[in-house]
Amino acid sequence: MSKKLMVIPEQCSGCRICELVCAIKHFGVNNPKKSAIKVLTIYPHPVVRMPIVCSQCKVPTCAQVCPVDALQRSDGVLQLDKENCISCYKCVDACPFGAIYVHEDYDLPIICDMCGGDPECVKKCPTGALRLIPESTLGEFKRLNNVLSYTQMKEIEFYEKGERKVIHYAEVGKEEL
Amino acid sequence: MSIKSGYFNKHLHVDLTKGTAEHQDISDAFLEKYIGGRGFGAKLVWDNLKKHDFRVDPLGPENLLVIAPGPLTGVYLPSSGKTSFAAISPATGLYGDSSMGGGFGVELRQTGVDVLSITGRAPELSVLFIDNGETTVLPTPELKEKSCLEAEGIIKERLGTYAIHVATIGVAGENMVNFACVNADWSRNAGRTGIGTIMGAKNLKAIVVRGHKDLPAHDVSGLMEEADKAYKYLKEHKYFSMWQQEGLMNIIEYANEKGILPVCNFKDTVFAKHNQINGATMLAHYKIGDSACFSCSMCCGNICLVKNGKYTGTIIEGPEYESCAMLGPNLGIDNFAAILSAIRLCDELGVDTISTGNIVGAVIEGYERGILSLSDLDGSEITWGDEDAILELIQKIADRQGIGNILADGSRRIIEKWPEMDKIILQVKGLEQSAYDSRAGITMGLGYATSDIGAHHTRAWTVAKEIEEGQNWSDDEKVGIVIYHQKVRPLFDMLGVCRLPWIELGLNERHYENFYKCVTGKEASLEQLLELSNDIYNLTRLINTRLGTTRKDDSLPYKVWANPPLTGPNVGKVIDQEDFQKLLSLYYQKRGWDEDGIPPTGLESKFED
Repeated sequence: MSKKLMVIPEQCSGCRICELVCAIKHFGVNNPKKSAIKVLTIYPHPVVRMPIVCSQCKVPTCAQVCPVDALQRSDGVLQLDKENCISCYKCVDACPFGAIYVHEDYDLPIICDMCGGDPECVKKCPTGALRLIPESTLGEFKRLNNVLSYTQMKEIEFYEKGERKVIHYAEVGKEEL
Repeated sequence: MSIKSGYFNKHLHVDLTKGTAEHQDISDAFLEKYIGGRGFGAKLVWDNLKKHDFRVDPLGPENLLVIAPGPLTGVYLPSSGKTSFAAISPATGLYGDSSMGGGFGVELRQTGVDVLSITGRAPELSVLFIDNGETTVLPTPELKEKSCLEAEGIIKERLGTYAIHVATIGVAGENMVNFACVNADWSRNAGRTGIGTIMGAKNLKAIVVRGHKDLPAHDVSGLMEEADKAYKYLKEHKYFSMWQQEGLMNIIEYANEKGILPVCNFKDTVFAKHNQINGATMLAHYKIGDSACFSCSMCCGNICLVKNGKYTGTIIEGPEYESCAMLGPNLGIDNFAAILSAIRLCDELGVDTISTGNIVGAVIEGYERGILSLSDLDGSEITWGDEDAILELIQKIADRQGIGNILADGSRRIIEKWPEMDKIILQVKGLEQSAYDSRAGITMGLGYATSDIGAHHTRAWTVAKEIEEGQNWSDDEKVGIVIYHQKVRPLFDMLGVCRLPWIELGLNERHYENFYKCVTGKEASLEQLLELSNDIYNLTRLINTRLGTTRKDDSLPYKVWANPPLTGPNVGKVIDQEDFQKLLSLYYQKRGWDEDGIPPTGLESKFED
């Protein structure tokens, strides 16, 4: 079962713990600039905090443009062949998401390796903005949100053992439909 | 054992008059003694005072502005995004500092410096750009009168990058409004003591930083292990998710219930319409996102949007307790959208919400009591809860128009002009009071009175403990807790981390001795670190007493002695002058200062090197 690192920007607080733990895991240093994931923060119009990380595309443009075939998929994850990479950074340019990074201390491009299947950033994200989920379940959150925001929903407030609760329901057979 | 890592051993000194920047080496002994943040700030401000024979005009080019993250800033541990700004404060004329969260300090450290100090005055409005070790001063006349956010946008466009951190001042800073702040990352502010005013006086619109360097740490895996324990503790805390959701806004309800919320310029401490402006209201109708400082799992920041009505489209990163209380109930405003709008205005203009809330509140009460006439107010009335008039007055302060020109000079100048206002305005040493009423507890009063920067809760916040304990504790314990707070809270500002995980979720202080050890490689117990923090408290006291502070300045606003809250749990309560003086004497005695609050002679030699 192949798993996907999913980003939920709406839940990102912009704390950049993901950047730090990525750098510590791969480079052993406290340096958020040496990470394969970065949070892009834009404000106030629009307000976005979006962690940008490799999407593990099935048709990876980064690998396609690599002149020495240094990006190869193994176990479903793109891996950089550090021996053969010539540091031309064509992949950095080619990634449609800008999810490959460069740092001046290090010649090779920095790309997510999924930490061998157990990404550190997912484990340490405090708000649940980063998740590792089976590919086939992608879209579930969107579907759920879409259903919950269904415009015909009505709500009833009630108390159960002193606790306030709300039930959402859709009225059947109403003319607005 | 001495330090092995954790610093770059570099001090970047910029002279804006000469347009020069030099990297000076810092010795290990200096780093061990002053740690960082406010410690560096106090020491460098002290050295600068001595150099100028203790004659430093806060708005003169000679006033040294020190910006110092700490050794823990930016490393993997809870809430490590803090940095301190220190100088001689225009509000008090004494030592002043203020700290900022967000990511500015982390980026500053990553340029490879431990501390930045700025002196002189640029010939025209300029931006200081520190790019991974290279420093340039860019003339930027086009930024004149731009709001903090607009200026940040223009700078990013001009430099062709969004991947920088920008600390700007707004119009208020340019106009040298006495309580102007420095703004970064949308709405992270070094808000208090007029740090933005000093940047304005230096013709410095912004400090821009971009750095890529590794943050030095002695034992990265040890740190990771220790930090994970701390993160885990926080995550499992029963109030953790409440913090993520409401952040500091949860204090509104607490403060209202306990009678410490400022209402109508501290006339009262209970707000009838508290449920229109509390955290629950924010969550139900305004909050659209979370916001966190660097490496913080608690994400106490909120992003709020007004979706309908007169203020539609108002979007801010905030509010938090202080801003909401000072610009809401303290001004009689019960409309949450209007409060958000006032906070946004303050963020754009670059004024401190606490001081602004105090001063506007005092103006409304002054007018109500007839101390200020309609002509003093330039012919426009202002009353409690009058949103339009309040927003207009805030704008006038920043623009220095009409009465705004006097208000902009802060409470000391207001009292000079209208002496009766001394009975109305809440300030200590010239700094307006934070949004926690001290009539509920004498220790909070003692904390305000003896805080080195004026009436701010950053040094001691004992009000919760006092409410919990009631009257059943001795003077010894009362003074003891104030002094303990004044040791431990500034320690966070020296290390460059946030104190909220400790004070709000009870993260054990002992973690910080381990963090310090992992980062610097130096073994130091919490007690030793607190002693170093205490030394800095003595140093800032030394600065203040050399600049004229005596026992009579360690006092409280008139209202605290004379006007009890009108309703609520603390109705009828004031602080008794005699009790207070007794406590103050005991405080001095425990600190080893004399009856007039002067530290012993000979203490100066401790801060020679």
